[in-house]
Parts: sequence; C-alpha cells; structure tokens
Amino acid sequence: MDSELIQQIRNQARDLLESGTVKGVIGYERASDGLTARPFFAYEPAAVERLIFDETCSHNLARYLVDKKNEKMAVVVKPCDSRAINLLLNEEQIKRDMVFVIGVTCPGVVETSWNHKDEELQARCKTCQLVEPPVYDFLAKGEAVERPQGEPYLDVQQMETKPIAERKDFWSEQFDRCIRCYACRQVCPGCYCPECFVEQLNPLWVGIRIAPKENELWQIMRAFHLAGRCIGCDECERVCPVDIPLSLLNRKLEKNVKELFDFQAGLNPEEQPPLATFKKEEKLGFEE
Amino acid sequence: MNLFISRDELIRWLDQLLRERILLAPARVQGLTLFQPVSKVEEVTLDFGNTTLSPKEWFLPPTETLFSMQGNDGHPQLVPSTIEKDAVIFGLRPCDAKGIALMDGPFLQEPADALYQERRARTTLIGLSCRQVQPECFCTSVGSAPDDPSHVDIMLTEIENGYIVQVITEKGKALLPEGLTESKEELPPPPELQDVPVKEVTRAVREFFDNPYWEQLADRCLHCNICAYVCPTCYCFDVRDYPNKGNLERVRSWDSCQSTGFTRIAGGYDPRATKEARLRQRFSHKLLYFPEEFQDIACVGCGRCVKSCPVNIDIREVMSDLQQLEAKSGS
Repeated sequence: MDSELIQQIRNQARDLLESGTVKGVIGYERASDGLTARPFFAYEPAAVERLIFDETCSHNLARYLVDKKNEKMAVVVKPCDSRAINLLLNEEQIKRDMVFVIGVTCPGVVETSWNHKDEELQARCKTCQLVEPPVYDFLAKGEAVERPQGEPYLDVQQMETKPIAERKDFWSEQFDRCIRCYACRQVCPGCYCPECFVEQLNPLWVGIRIAPKENELWQIMRAFHLAGRCIGCDECERVCPVDIPLSLLNRKLEKNVKELFDFQAGLNPEEQPPLATFKKEEKLGFEE
Repeated sequence: MNLFISRDELIRWLDQLLRERILLAPARVQGLTLFQPVSKVEEVTLDFGNTTLSPKEWFLPPTETLFSMQGNDGHPQLVPSTIEKDAVIFGLRPCDAKGIALMDGPFLQEPADALYQERRARTTLIGLSCRQVQPECFCTSVGSAPDDPSHVDIMLTEIENGYIVQVITEKGKALLPEGLTESKEELPPPPELQDVPVKEVTRAVREFFDNPYWEQLADRCLHCNICAYVCPTCYCFDVRDYPNKGNLERVRSWDSCQSTGFTRIAGGYDPRATKEARLRQRFSHKLLYFPEEFQDIACVGCGRCVKSCPVNIDIREVMSDLQQLEAKSGS
C-alpha cells in the first residue's frame, strides 16, 4: 500500500469537503474482510480518514456519478475508470462542472473477491498503457510503475480462428449459466438507460424467462449496445456471480470498432463515438 | 443408533439412486460448484465449502411454466405442469436445508403452491455436515449448526474411512441401502464459528425504518439481484403469460426487490422508487416481516451474499450496525 498516495487522496478530499466545493467524495475504503476494498462515500471531512487506495481497488467508481448527477461530487478514478467519465460527458449524462476528478496514477489492480486477492495483476492491467487518467482535476501520484507490454487482444484473436459452430457452442455454454441478475448492467458505467430494453414491455424484446434463448438475447444485445462505448474496465466480468467471460465478448467488439474506425471509447471527451455519428464518405460494407 | 457407510458403499448407493431418480449433487461447472442433475457418480464433487448458488432452485426454479392454456377452438383447457420423477438432493449443507424449511412457510401455507408442494413431497434430502467452515459462514448465530440434522431426511458426517449416517425421517429410512452396519464411532464435534449477534435485530429494523442509515448504505449498492438470487431463502418471483406454438404459457421466473419496477403498479406509481427503499426492503423482509409471520429470521448464515456482493454489502455488518443504533438510542 502506497501511504503517500493515500495521503494525497485524503488531503485533496478533505480540502474539497471543508471548502464546500463538493457535497461528497466517492472513494475506496477497506471492506469487511479487512483485505480488499469497497466503494465509500465520504460526506464529512473526518470521514476521509477511511479512504484508501491499493491494488484491490478494482471497482470503477465513475459508475456512481450518474446516480449523483444533481450533486457536485468528487470521485477517485484510476486511468481506466476515468475513461468512463469521458464517455458520460460525451453522452451528456453528467456535467463537467458537477464532478471533481481525483485521478490516481495506477500501479495496476489484482483480481479480488471477498476475503481473497490474487498476487498477479488483472489481465487488462497487463496490457494497459495508461499511466495517467485522460481526465482529472487533481492527480494523486504514486510510485512510478513500469508498464507491461502485452497484446490486449490475444484471446480474442484465438477465438476468431475457431470455426463458427465452435464459437457458438462456447458462448451458448457460457450464457446457459446466466441467472439474469443484471449485475453486469448495474455495475457498468455505460449502462445508464432509465429503462433497459430487457425490461421494456412494449415492444417486448426479451421475456422474463431465465433460460438459454433469453439469456443469449440479453447478453448479445447488451454487448452490442456497448460496441464502441465499452471503456474496458471489466467490471462486468469481475461481478458476474457465475463467471461468464464478458470481457472477451466486449473486447471483440472493441477490437472491431478500433480496426474499422480507429476509435477507443473514453480517451477524448470531444470525439464523437463512431456509432453515434455518420459521415457520407463512410463505407458501409454492403455497397458491392 | 447411527449407521456407517463406507466410501465404496456410498458410491454404489449414489449410482443406484441416479438410475431410479433425478440425483442432484454438487458438481463442478467451469470452476464453479453448483447443484446439478448428475448422470454419473464421477460428476459428484465432495470437495467443496458450499455451492455458488443455493439448492432452492430445485424447488423454485429460475424459470418454470406453471401451466399452459391449450386449444384455440373457443374452449381452452388449463393444463398444469407435472413433475416427472422423484428426486434426491445429495450433499446438502445444514444451512441450505434450513433455507428449504424456511421456504416451506410461504409456499406450503394454504393455499399451497402446487408445483413447490409436489417437488417437496417427491424429493428426499441427504445432508452433509460441514467438517470445515468458511470465513463467511455464521449459521450458529441464526439457529443452525454445521452438524444440524433437523431439516434433512438423512444426515451424513464424514469420518476417516467413510460416513456416519443419521436416519432422521421415515422418508430417509426408505431410501437407505440394505445392510448398513452400526457406526462404531461417535459423531465428531462440529467446527467453531464466528458469533454474529442477532438478538435485537428485528426490533432494530422496526425502529429504524426511517433512519438515514439506509440512504448511506444504498449509496454503494448497485441494485443488482445477486444477493437475492444466491440466497437460499429469497423467494420472490414474477409471473407473465407468453404465447408458445399456438398455446399460452404462464411462466414464473425469479425476481428481486432490488429491481427497479419490482413494486411499480398500474398507473406507474412505485412505492419503493428509491434505492434506499429497495435496499431496506431486503433487510426488512428477512429480519422483520418474515419473523413476524413465520417466527424465524429469513437468513441461514450461509454467507453467500457476503461472498458474492460486488460492493461488500455485508448482512452481518448491517445487523450489527442496526443493533448498535438500537443500543445507542436506548442509552
């Protein structure tokens, strides 16, 4: 644990609360296992002493900004998480002047579950090139970290080489386990629709059955809604109680969007996402 | 008098059971341990703390068709769903067995839920006592124990060379193989567990309905359905009618008080529209409304919600916080 980094976060949070700049600070505190982290909302200056930051801080706290869009909040974000702020700004879900971004330089986070943490970095951290958040108001600087050089789409490429039938069987087997708890959606900073398609009655897209056909429809439609919008925090995969490898699905779409449009979500709040824009000169692929 | 079954005899017995009935047992599925219908004894795993999902799904499946309406000649007939075969659940932990006993309250009170009642009558429960406990377990604080045999038909306890067999009910006795000998060994003492005080919790939940505590707790809650779906005592469901090949099916699926719209009524009004109202409902139902109606809190201390919650809403901590509020307000 980098105590100097934590002190910077606490000092900044205290200043913001004492000066009344923000109503609250969304950060991390120690979880009930005494080992991992959980989200924490500090509303009083004294509460900032509970704030922590370490390799177990996997949660993407930017997700909470949509719940608190009417109050000025500060939020602690890792570089990956901060991309969600850009996404939400771009899609006009939050206002820039209602958010104070406490960015942290990130040493990478490990896979955690209650009372358990891995030694190794999460897969996404092994290929992440972002040292600083692309958006912040204050930067808490930790010890310098060497960035690993990995290929982010190795598993996607491996999957692409498999025959369609095999890929279909793989995903059917994964989605069969889905219990439609919607934790993937609830944790996702990009899933903020007031009424999700899966709950719409008119038109009825997906019924209430927790069964292979409905599960598949739910998962595939959600993945497509996130094409070019997923910022790769992998929170959906972390929270899934039945271990569906959702990151693999999301990164396939991310890779396609990157190849087709040279675009990755959340790196720049000014740049319109490709699926929200149309250029006349664009090839649609079905002209020939 | 307790009996003894060797490992080989147990395997032969399970092999015989799965030929005659549906045998649900803990099995590995992609790194998870889940209760699954097994077709070979080799699929059964006994090396598990507890399963990821609870065995409630056998009695209240994630989705089931309650009945279908058939015939479109102006005289539709209601055709209720039926249960095909008898079943055995093997490897049930005492906490989960108590979970089933608690679900009996709402499902078997008159008028009983027909499908639940039939499944319950046609399923025999073989418990497996816990020789080791997990860090999230707290069954002894909520009226059960790692070796509690009260809610199963047969209880097995592993010892060095096999299992001690306690026959609890006539239904269990009828299922046992012939020729088991008396156990020469005594039941081993159960492992110790953490103590989670619950004595004042029902009163505290009643008293602190309007406390800002709920709003603070709801800040970090994601309002997913994980806690409800992994819980052995959460039993809420939704019912809809869907067309299927010219017939109409009445379908029941799991639902949870954490969902937006769970309590939305015609006209659009939702009495539990806020996050804190929904989160409070989860704990109020378990710790106040259920005990008022069925004389026991609807938590069996399995710790699944503690383990699975993505943001660490920990029921042990919630119960402790509420009782501390109660103690403070009283002093």
